[in-house]
Amino acid sequence: MATLSLQNVQKSYGGLQVLHGIDVELEDGGFLVLLGPSGCGKSTLLNLIAGLDDISAGDIRIDGRSVVELAPKDRNIAMVFQSYALYPTMTVERNIGFGLEMRGINGIERSAAVKKAADLLQISHLLDRRPANLSGGQRQRVAMGRAIVRNPDLFLFDEPLSNLDAKLRAEMRTEIKRLHGRLGTSVVYVTHDQIEAMTLGTKVAVMKGGYIQQFADPQTIYEKPANMFVAGFIGSPPMNFVTGTLTSDGRLARFEAPGVRVEAPMSSGEIFRAKAAVLGIRPEELKIADVTGSMLTGTIDVIEPTGPDTIVTVRVGDQAVVARLPSRFSSKAGDGVYLRAELAGLSLFDAVTEMRIQL
Amino acid sequence: MAATRRSRRMAADILTYFVLVSMSLFCIGPIAWMFLTSLKLEADIVTQTMQYIPNRITFQNYVAIWTQSSFPVLIGNSFIVTLITVIVCLATGTLAAYAFSRYTFKGRNTLMLGYLVVRMFPAVMMIIPLYVVLRSVGLIDSRIGLALAYTSFLLPLFVWMLKGFFDAAPKELESAARIDGSTRFGAMLWIVIPLARNGLVASSIFVAIAAWNEFLFALMLTTGQGSRTWPVGLQLMVGEFQLPWGVLAAGGILSILPVMLMFALVQRVMVQGLTAGAIKG
Repeated sequence: MATLSLQNVQKSYGGLQVLHGIDVELEDGGFLVLLGPSGCGKSTLLNLIAGLDDISAGDIRIDGRSVVELAPKDRNIAMVFQSYALYPTMTVERNIGFGLEMRGINGIERSAAVKKAADLLQISHLLDRRPANLSGGQRQRVAMGRAIVRNPDLFLFDEPLSNLDAKLRAEMRTEIKRLHGRLGTSVVYVTHDQIEAMTLGTKVAVMKGGYIQQFADPQTIYEKPANMFVAGFIGSPPMNFVTGTLTSDGRLARFEAPGVRVEAPMSSGEIFRAKAAVLGIRPEELKIADVTGSMLTGTIDVIEPTGPDTIVTVRVGDQAVVARLPSRFSSKAGDGVYLRAELAGLSLFDAVTEMRIQL
Repeated sequence: MAATRRSRRMAADILTYFVLVSMSLFCIGPIAWMFLTSLKLEADIVTQTMQYIPNRITFQNYVAIWTQSSFPVLIGNSFIVTLITVIVCLATGTLAAYAFSRYTFKGRNTLMLGYLVVRMFPAVMMIIPLYVVLRSVGLIDSRIGLALAYTSFLLPLFVWMLKGFFDAAPKELESAARIDGSTRFGAMLWIVIPLARNGLVASSIFVAIAAWNEFLFALMLTTGQGSRTWPVGLQLMVGEFQLPWGVLAAGGILSILPVMLMFALVQRVMVQGLTAGAIKG
């Protein structure tokens, strides 16, 4: 177990800067998820932590000790790769024990450690096989076995579930969470899957273009996104964005758009005069309301029952708003509808800077 | 309709087989002819009517070339020169190919292009400078000198071939090994080389065959019996024995035997090696 501290980490390839001053602190035993779309720099950052690539500036500390000058093998980390990176010429047993073999651990001790890890991951019956003779899920388990057998300070996961089918992915996600709970080792986990980020992370760093957009616990990221990128990236269906104007007198703020009117008390005391703003509403926050308590008024465009609930697209003015409503939904397309949401579930963004506005 | 299509396909098949069989005959013909000649008595070789299949079979030619000429020495020399060439290529070329495949450094592309440029010039052009260099370091007419000369033009080929095989080995495996406790060199040795094993075998055999069969450099850079290789030795026998066709044919067959043997032993590995990377997965 160890803490991880990234201080102003930068990375450039020639003139191209791909990471701009990344600052992250992970507590002992924490689970940090680096989340972002392809090309946001999350895998690069993971490689820098692993020591597979050199940083251009800044510092990386594991348990308070700077590791930037250390080779990957001396950082006492273990990594699970997207492709699993199992050694194809070796058996499962040797794959798992390779790290111990390289560190000069004797055969008996090594076998015992490999067996223990294999038991934990329920792959003891596969030890004599080669990676080519394993299924995707089994390979994934072997890759994890290779990581846990060494008892490292830090686990690094590079999109470990992206090559699995949906069912297996959910299963392995639970398995990873269970393992983390059991071993208590700190984890850095790279993914572009927001479900993995929300379910696994104790801290999530949402990245885009080599910058951290928001670094917080999953709940904060979900409920109080720092900007429109974070708001749109997390959640499925994604957050609705309604453009309109924001007016306030310092005590009461009012957001207005065709078919939309929301009023909320404010504590910042800031005055807005018809400022261009964007209202963010998560589809699951929207509820059917009557005329008096409604915030949005529109007509139903499309109804998509998914089983547990119904996804309803509503035309509000000239904008589309998606609501996730209960499965027993009796209206039909073309009907008028009134919607409302809890004030705490709403977000406001500056239409120009796309940053969150604190009321 | 169907019948026309079938007959058209059959015609295409016949044509394909005709071309393939005639090409194979064209390639195998001289070797088969040489083999048959080596089994004939001298009197049956130059005759009024062509004798395709020998009436009388004799192994006298093989005995003669092995016992009455310096042929065993020539074969021995060829073996040593080939071995040295392959060892030097393996030791230096593997590291070079790995560096080209994995590292980005200043002048990398220029250097790789430079390796190709060496192959661009005809061997005749290289011989005179090479001769001068080898003479000045006292390696003319030595097996090591000849092996070094071979290395000079076979190493680029070896490096280029092997680089392709290294490129095909996933980089993540090495990263995993480096995290698992290997050094960069260890990761190459334990992970990449076992993966590129077929490529290594294929490239080495290419180099070995080229060194084994080489004639021009051997002719120019060796003068004495001590370092002469079989292609030159066999050619020189032409004058010595006043065209003893049977003996020469026996020598030819004996000389290509190692190459055929090597090919037969590793042909599967070699085909695997040469097609690796062509198909992903």
